[in-house]
Amino acid sequence: MKEAQSIIEKALKEGRTSLSEYESKNLLNLYGIPVTREVLVRDRGEFSKALAEIGYPLVIKACSPQVTHKTERNLVRVDLRNVEEAGAAFEDLTSRMEGENKTLLVQEMVRGSRELVVGMTRDPQFGPCVMFGLGGIYTEILRDVSFRVAPLEKRDALQMTQEIRGRKILESVRGMPPADMETLCRILLQVGQIGMEHGAIKEIDINPLILSGSRPVAVDALVILSESTVSP
Amino acid sequence: MKGPKMPTSRFFENLATLFNPTTVAVIGASDNPGKLGYHVMKSLTQGAFPGTLVPVNPGAAAILGIEAYPAIEAYPGTVELAIVVLPALSVPPVLDECIRKGVNGIVLITAGFKEIDDPRGGELQAELARTASEAELPVIGPNTFGMVNLHRSLNASFTPEFSWVRKGGISLVSQSGGISHLMAFLAMSGDVGMSKIVGLGNRMNVDFAEMFTYLVSDPNTDVIALYLEGLDDPRKLMEAAKAHRGAKPAVAYKTGSAVTGDRASLSHTGSMAGNQEVYRGALKQAGILPLESAEELLDAARALAMCPLPKGPRIAVLSGQAGPGMAACDLCEAQGLEIAVFQPETQNVINELLPPLALRTNPVDMGPAWYKASAIEGIIRAVMTDDQVDALLILMMYASANREAPAAISPLLLEWKQKKPVVSCLVSPPGIWDDAIRTLENGSALMNCRTPERAALAAASLWKYGEMIKNLEAWSKEEHRRQKTGDRTRSKA
Repeated sequence: MKEAQSIIEKALKEGRTSLSEYESKNLLNLYGIPVTREVLVRDRGEFSKALAEIGYPLVIKACSPQVTHKTERNLVRVDLRNVEEAGAAFEDLTSRMEGENKTLLVQEMVRGSRELVVGMTRDPQFGPCVMFGLGGIYTEILRDVSFRVAPLEKRDALQMTQEIRGRKILESVRGMPPADMETLCRILLQVGQIGMEHGAIKEIDINPLILSGSRPVAVDALVILSESTVSP
Repeated sequence: MKGPKMPTSRFFENLATLFNPTTVAVIGASDNPGKLGYHVMKSLTQGAFPGTLVPVNPGAAAILGIEAYPAIEAYPGTVELAIVVLPALSVPPVLDECIRKGVNGIVLITAGFKEIDDPRGGELQAELARTASEAELPVIGPNTFGMVNLHRSLNASFTPEFSWVRKGGISLVSQSGGISHLMAFLAMSGDVGMSKIVGLGNRMNVDFAEMFTYLVSDPNTDVIALYLEGLDDPRKLMEAAKAHRGAKPAVAYKTGSAVTGDRASLSHTGSMAGNQEVYRGALKQAGILPLESAEELLDAARALAMCPLPKGPRIAVLSGQAGPGMAACDLCEAQGLEIAVFQPETQNVINELLPPLALRTNPVDMGPAWYKASAIEGIIRAVMTDDQVDALLILMMYASANREAPAAISPLLLEWKQKKPVVSCLVSPPGIWDDAIRTLENGSALMNCRTPERAALAAASLWKYGEMIKNLEAWSKEEHRRQKTGDRTRSKA
């Protein structure tokens, strides 16, 4: 896909090995993967406009190509409910990004207590592989994940969601509706497709992919590029 | 990424002939027990190969009393299979001779090729591979114990005892000679029937993909079992298997799990994508059920050969003693099976037949019915026809008082012929129940395992395989055929 290719090429030209969260989500969205509504802001003026556009509650994150571990660096503010809270967060974050490109991302606050992970990695033998599992902090702690080799069929996507120990998270639990499996499967298929089409993409993390009601939404995403571009 | 390239149909015709030859030459045959050529000759003669044997040795008039020839081209008749047991450096001219002679296939036992540190081994193998593939000539090996086709009484290996394995429907393709030997010995002690046992060795031009494709079309193979360590081009096997997904059950045991994800990776996905995790996913996509041990591989293959697939995950556990029933239940649940809840009518029958002192809901402790074989039969009859039950596990340890139980339930089970899968664990001191179990297995009435845990795992494998391949076109066709012909099992493996 041409638009996706130009996002990647821009980053490579700038000598980067990853896409920013904003670019990553734009790319995912080009493949029909639902992402959070968000606006990139560089100054106070853009920030004010973004607040009006996104509405409360909202999330503000640092979004510079140099920052790949936002949470670890305490550069994320969530659940901001009014202009005062948002303004304070703006000041706080920009002061913490001393000497860096002070770009921020203003994004809708997606509510949902079920966090999933979807990813893509390039196996040296199999090529692009897709991962599904429990997301958020549980990804590293429980390692409850399953893999399939791209391209995926819908049956592969369905089976890999049923393979994790925590598969019940996708069902109707504690008053929450069952996950929209059609959309979830499409996301898994499309992440594999991105891996097939773009050899320059080394890895993709969509973590967390939050179930907002039944609908999965990519709340954070990271696309890693390989320094040497290979064909898929 | 390069696409998988499969050989020609001529190559596959040759491969089929390689496994079913009329005349076999042993190049490097010997009378000296210190040479592999002697053991290969012993395998062929003791295995009672019904065709013609042609020992080739320039220094002997006869080997093991069979007329020998100085070269394969000196033999006047046609030769379909040549088994080569010569030092590596003498192999290239012999390959040319075999091609001129028009053999259909070669088993190259000789070691000293790609597997050695010296790069010349790899170069030599690459040269042989080019020559053989140009001639569309399949070569099994090099660096292999050989292969066995029990349906042809062909033991083309250096281990004569492979011929002791009973003939059956499971074909094993293995990347390890050691695991092949282990599986053959397990098959002997477990009375498991095998079709072919193939050591791929260095996989010069016969790799898993080629073997899988051949075995799918082989009428003597009901279930394909693979032992894998690591492949240069795993996508090729996956494509070959995928093309026939569901047509013939396939199971695999893959070792080499020590290779974990890329720890240096920046993403979560990259750091968690271990070799084993990716293989498991890829195997399932290809319709091959991944398993965790050599024993499990054999049990699952046997179950798939001997039992129909369950329609659902609900299992009834009927046990002559409470303990084995508990052990089986634990494992069933851990493997994703559900312990069935009986319909009220079924429960009423069980309550009438068993006193209230036993476990009467699933798992059912049939212990108190030891002395009354008719009660055990009545319970099985009620449970097998219960719509809430998809498969049965019957477990019974021998005691003097229940000695006649297997014989008593035989008529019912033999008549029912596994309209739903029946996996059993009937265990007695050697000799006491052996004949009864054999009769039940030969009559497609059940598949017996040596421990409750293995029985539960085998039942779980049936369910998992069915889930993996359900709704595939090839599988639907096979199901349709089986329902039409009433053939619920594949073979006595």
